[in-house]
Amino acid sequence: MNRLVSLSIGRISTRLRRFAPLVVTAIALSAAPLVAHDMWIEPTTFSPEPGAIVGARLRIGQDLLGDPLPRDPALINEFVVEDGEGRRPLVGRNGADPAGFLRVAVPGLLVIGYRSHPSTVELTAEKFNQYLKEEGLDAVVALRARRGQTGGARERFSRCAKSLVLSGSANSTQGDRSLGFTLELVAERNPYAMTVGQELPVRLTYEGRPLAGTLVVAMNRSDPSDKLTARSDSDGRVRFRMPRPGMWMIKAVHMIPAQPESHAEWESFWASLTFDVPGAINAPHPSRR
Amino acid sequence: MTTTYRWQWLSARVVCGVLAAILAGTTAAQAHEIGTTRIVASFAPNDTYAIEVSTDASVLLARLELARKQPRTAPASAGDLQRGFDALCDEVPRHVSVAFDDVARVPGATCLVDSAGSVPPDNLSALGVTVTLRGVIPPGAQTFRWRYDLTFASYSLTVKSVSRTDETMWLEGGQESRVLAVARAEPPSHAAVAGSYFGLGFTHILPKGLDHILFVLGIVLLSRRLRPILWQVSAFTLAHSITLGLTLYGVISPSPSIVEPLIALSIVYVAVENIATSELKPWRVALVFGFGLLHGMGFAGVLRELALPRSEFLTGLVAFNAGVEAGQLTVILSAFLIIGSWARNQDGYRDLIVVPASTAIALTGLFWTVQRLAV
Repeated sequence: MNRLVSLSIGRISTRLRRFAPLVVTAIALSAAPLVAHDMWIEPTTFSPEPGAIVGARLRIGQDLLGDPLPRDPALINEFVVEDGEGRRPLVGRNGADPAGFLRVAVPGLLVIGYRSHPSTVELTAEKFNQYLKEEGLDAVVALRARRGQTGGARERFSRCAKSLVLSGSANSTQGDRSLGFTLELVAERNPYAMTVGQELPVRLTYEGRPLAGTLVVAMNRSDPSDKLTARSDSDGRVRFRMPRPGMWMIKAVHMIPAQPESHAEWESFWASLTFDVPGAINAPHPSRR
Repeated sequence: MTTTYRWQWLSARVVCGVLAAILAGTTAAQAHEIGTTRIVASFAPNDTYAIEVSTDASVLLARLELARKQPRTAPASAGDLQRGFDALCDEVPRHVSVAFDDVARVPGATCLVDSAGSVPPDNLSALGVTVTLRGVIPPGAQTFRWRYDLTFASYSLTVKSVSRTDETMWLEGGQESRVLAVARAEPPSHAAVAGSYFGLGFTHILPKGLDHILFVLGIVLLSRRLRPILWQVSAFTLAHSITLGLTLYGVISPSPSIVEPLIALSIVYVAVENIATSELKPWRVALVFGFGLLHGMGFAGVLRELALPRSEFLTGLVAFNAGVEAGQLTVILSAFLIIGSWARNQDGYRDLIVVPASTAIALTGLFWTVQRLAV
């Protein structure tokens, strides 16, 4: 979003170099920063051997092209992995990327989770409105309209990222599980036991309860611009038919009016879930890769 | 090996960054999502700028490919990455904003992947690239603004220039920096240098140099006529000019712990002699010359602390001396006018003015002598 704006400005500025002062003024006016971006976990592998060490890379960006986010103790609220034997923290060195490491103790489906402390951003009216529109936060748009709020906003945001990794062979008894994150996406079917084109039900919960009417987006590494979107139903559920194998990210954003003591007007939670949909081996048809 | 080194290097920088951000952010109790991008902007004395962007090589290459609407490649080695950058490096300036005095400039770009060996694909994310953006600072430019659109995380911008200390700030990808001053290395004119050192010399006497003021007052008090005063002041000036120059050029290097108490003692001497005698003794001028030598060494301390640049040495020295001289003459003329020729020619002048004032000066000088010896 921010990126598109800045790209077009870049083009304009090269064309109109003669009117450079004017253009710079235009840039200064329009290039408001800090529209919050997606954040997800990119494991070094989605299919580790039992006993292997997996690095959990944290990424911030758009369209699954993300900047490394090194391990920052000031940001980490929870950084854990849950497998058949329970939950344990990911280890890592501060300032390092990957931000965390885990050792696959037992074969099966591993759920990696990263929950951050809140960060605050200040957005201009233009950016905030654009962002609300792009993330499908219609309820907030309506609430702002009802309150007569048209200006910029101070927003507090937290990350609730998860990733599913499979060690060993897949079976349908394995499943994602809730880590108790504030906003959380839970896959209701093992994506590693799926084939391309099958339906994946995903449930969105906020503070442990189903969250209805929220925009949920799925995108694939090989063509991130071709997004699948759906609104969660009254059970907080969406269903996606994944048209291609490879790394997928499902994401959702939830925004509420912030608590007065938070020194922000709005508080948002960014949930993401990454996993790999098996291609060549499980797919009934040869994949495009 | 290379990869490990690279990781450590990146981590060290990130840890520093994170720590700095924690320190900077403590008041707000907010943590930023700090990525691995670090940017250093240097303004060189030869009117060129160089902005070095150190960032993750594979992420940047993918963004450039996307910007050019090219298919995303899968570089498997540092060599692959370098070839990718060779083709796309000139895309980088389209996604940054470099503005001097709010006029946009388009820099030239070179991209260098940090390591040359082959690295397994899994570790490519640890490889860095340094993009150097170069250009000419427009003559007379006062301000600089910067924006970098090729990261979504927070990054640090460090501004380096010859004439001021480095400044580091945190910016978000796509965020316009505040307006930064371009520190010019252009040497100031001789007149400007002379003016500033003259002012420095003057204020070193008035109002900062109470010890020198008292010494000069001591000289003024002894005589009822201007001529002997001017003789003494001239001897004093000549003497302190000599030692000031010798000290600054490093010919002599007197210790302040000796010079400073002696200066205080010289004040005591002049004042005591004012009380003891009413006539200008022939040796007085010679003595004042000797004391001038001491005071000159004292002045040198101040100038040395200012680290007078070589190119401004002589100008600075002469101007400082002239400033000192002007300060002294101001003190003398003021004293002369305040006391007045009427008072000077009254019978009680010595008893009512010279002796009490000199006593006060002597006591002050004595106090300073003790104080400076104690340090």
